Amino acid sequence: MINPSAGAINIDFHVNGKSYSMQVEPFKTILEVLRDDLGLTGAKKGCDDGNCGACTVIMDGKAVKACSLLIGQARGKKITTIEGLEDENGLHPLQKAFIDRFAIQCGFCTPGMIMTAKAILDANPNATEEDIREGMHGNICRCTGYVKIVEAVEAARDQMNR
Amino acid sequence: MTDVQENGYIGKSVQRVDAYDKATGKARFIEDYQSQFKDLLHVKILRSPHPHAKIVNIDSSIAEKLPGVATVVKGTDPDLPWEYIPYANNYYGNPAKDEVIWAGQAVVAVAASSIEIAEQALELIKVEYEVLPYVIDQEAAVGPDAIPVVDPKLGLSAGYQGPHPDGPNVLGSYKLKKGDLDAAFAEADVIVEQKYSNDKKSTAAVECNGVIVEYKSDGITVYTNCCGIHGVVKEKLVNMFPNLSGSQLRVVQPFQGGSFGNRLFPLIEPLAVVIALRTKRNVSHILTRKEMFTSSPSNWPCVTTLKLGAKKDGTIIAEEFKITENTGASINNYYDGRLSGSGLVCVYDVPNVFGDGYAVSTNTVPCAPYRGLGCPESEWAMENLLDVLAEKLGMSPVELRLKNFIKRGHENAYGEKLTSTSVAACLTAVADAIKLDEPCEQEPGPWRKGKGIAVGGKQNTPLGRAEADVLVHSDGSIELLVSVDEQGMGAQTTLMQMVATEFEIPYESVKVTRADTAVTPFDNFAASSRTTYTTGNAVRIACQDAIRQLKEAAGRKLGVAAMQVTIKQGKAFILGSNVEEIAVADLFEPFSFFTDQNWGLQKGTPVRGRGVFCPAPAVPWFGPGHEDGRTPRMWNWYQFSACAVEIAVNVETGQIKLLKIASAADTGNPINPKLVEGQIEGGVIMALGFSVMDGHVYQDGVMANPGYNDYRVPTVLETPLQSNIIPIISPDALPDGPYGAKGMAESITIPVGPAIASAVYQAAGVRPTVMPMTAERILELINAKEAKND
Repeated sequence: MINPSAGAINIDFHVNGKSYSMQVEPFKTILEVLRDDLGLTGAKKGCDDGNCGACTVIMDGKAVKACSLLIGQARGKKITTIEGLEDENGLHPLQKAFIDRFAIQCGFCTPGMIMTAKAILDANPNATEEDIREGMHGNICRCTGYVKIVEAVEAARDQMNR
Repeated sequence: MTDVQENGYIGKSVQRVDAYDKATGKARFIEDYQSQFKDLLHVKILRSPHPHAKIVNIDSSIAEKLPGVATVVKGTDPDLPWEYIPYANNYYGNPAKDEVIWAGQAVVAVAASSIEIAEQALELIKVEYEVLPYVIDQEAAVGPDAIPVVDPKLGLSAGYQGPHPDGPNVLGSYKLKKGDLDAAFAEADVIVEQKYSNDKKSTAAVECNGVIVEYKSDGITVYTNCCGIHGVVKEKLVNMFPNLSGSQLRVVQPFQGGSFGNRLFPLIEPLAVVIALRTKRNVSHILTRKEMFTSSPSNWPCVTTLKLGAKKDGTIIAEEFKITENTGASINNYYDGRLSGSGLVCVYDVPNVFGDGYAVSTNTVPCAPYRGLGCPESEWAMENLLDVLAEKLGMSPVELRLKNFIKRGHENAYGEKLTSTSVAACLTAVADAIKLDEPCEQEPGPWRKGKGIAVGGKQNTPLGRAEADVLVHSDGSIELLVSVDEQGMGAQTTLMQMVATEFEIPYESVKVTRADTAVTPFDNFAASSRTTYTTGNAVRIACQDAIRQLKEAAGRKLGVAAMQVTIKQGKAFILGSNVEEIAVADLFEPFSFFTDQNWGLQKGTPVRGRGVFCPAPAVPWFGPGHEDGRTPRMWNWYQFSACAVEIAVNVETGQIKLLKIASAADTGNPINPKLVEGQIEGGVIMALGFSVMDGHVYQDGVMANPGYNDYRVPTVLETPLQSNIIPIISPDALPDGPYGAKGMAESITIPVGPAIASAVYQAAGVRPTVMPMTAERILELINAKEAKND
């Protein structure tokens, strides 16, 4: 799948608990490598300048915009994408809450929304509505008006704190 | 008896069928399909930097030789199907032929083995332009001496009516006459008049438009997030490419990341097909965010001058309007002011009306529908002027509207009878929710609070038929085949609820299959809020057709007439007994080599119920016999909404902050209330954006803010806290809607801007007339008012 060229660099990193050692062209973004080389298409491209947030993944505990980071910046890092949230115990409480609370319409922004929300709640399990709003303002949604998204994050927070 | 047996699934907020796939990243959108194709060509476009220029010469010889470049497409290439493009020869995303008429128009396309090579090739292409004068401002574009959007020597800008006496850019005009306007104004006690306008805006769905064409020797498959796989994409491509037969063209729609009107017509599909046919390879073309702004359709802004005359008691007796739609570089289409003008006659019952409509082209990105079909733009005028009128009459804005809205069973100015409306309930509900009569609690500092209210109405346009197939499998499970555009609104879910209700089976036993012309039957497209009504009716008919076949099979088996059988809960019952029954699954005979063959239902062959629903056709509004512009039974039904807001205006900066919003939707019977709530909340926040924040900005004829960085759509921080967004569902059953339902997603956006404007007046004493009400514009009004007071 990888097509090493003269300029390729070696990258070791972890995605969703799996280790990868890859030859990658250095101009590739993390988003391109996740989508094109690893087949993880959950993170989306909605713009090219980090404004829409559809590409959000978690890198070493922080929500980052994968379209605006070069693959070299992932060296040695642990990345979690939307595909890494559902495990043998089922859906992550955030995924469950987004479904139950109708926080999803077209669904294009949803993976990024959920990953940003996870980073917020992982860092602050008692995040208030204000904290959630502050943390999520880098993710654009044109369908929902954000109401049910914030509601879902609060529901997941309460579930996770139970 | 279970809940399902009693009421079915109508009015129940069942989970979205597609939510799991979307919450886990499994849902595949257009760009996610790229990985399944090897040897994919990627398309990149060189676009015009000029709003208007003649293309003198294109030299792409070096680019063509770049390793990895498969082909270069220019507008003069013989395989571009110009003569088959039915609308404008510059509307589609194909490279321009001899003239560019907006900055962002395609000039040369390159298909290469990677995006990087395609981009590199673009840099090697040299285009020589002869820059021509351009016109961006729509008012400057009207008149015989206006700068022509299309150079008269090179082409013609003309609508369906042909060249227009009002100048080279006027596409068409439309007049509506009812009653005796002059006499009515003479009789009026109060007359108000004002001009209103709005900026160009983009729907800015988070997913960009994309297409992948798969080439095979026996035909092509087009994967696209464009709407209308049958009625739009297939129909138009087959017309454009006469060598491509209907059987050779398959269209598949992946998950769609929004549309809001932007994707109602093919934009990039024809070019991708040209490249696939030329190279015999698979082709992918995904627009960038910048291209979504500069090269995919915007709305059509309107300039509206409105004059109203009323009696002292508030009865409006006269209405005169002149409305001009700015269609951008759409230069040949059915635009004449009729679409937006409909918003000015669909809410209030005015006996004497004269409407004067126009459409004019400009050297800006071409237009397409944007959630509301021009009514948010036109009703911006109506609702604002009503607020002025209410003040002059000394009436409350609610009272004035309640007095004048069109009641159920009454006719609007077109002569169309209204069959469903809950305007009164919507108005009172939002006024109560926001406590409109109570003054705002003011705080010290520059922020001044105010409240406002408005109404919106929108017609449903009959846009062709819808079909549905319902397959009852021999295990009793049911598959729904529909070509509905699931753009995010939840149509697939509500249609499944209808199937589960018709068969009285659990919702989970129904599966819906996504749009694929090889699998799912005809539907036109998801426009004008028509899916619930048009496709919903087709689904019910398909269910009834399948049930009829099952009844016949059960009758044969049980030795009774089909009419004595009822099908429900996966079983066939003999009427009147509810005792003798047979499982639907047992109506299907097993197949064996050693028994007589069965001509009835057989295992493995589902029963196929077919449903076709054709709404009443549109009535022409032009030509002989239509001189008064009146069109009884033009539209099928109307949707309304009301909105009340509390806002704060910073009188030092002009910034508007939305504090609280109540929005009530006149829905017909809602099929899934939570999905309706989602449409209300999403609609009002989208409208908040185009009311106070987002609009195109032009500098030297070029859009200066083509990105989310500068084209600011609302983020969560611009929205009020959850408890301050109040969605209200106010049903009034539509007689011919499925279960009394109708669409609602467009009207919800209409009253937001005028409600905010009314609140701005209460808060800061200034009346905005231009939308969006940006901080700069509000501050200018405040400063002008203060200068006047000094």
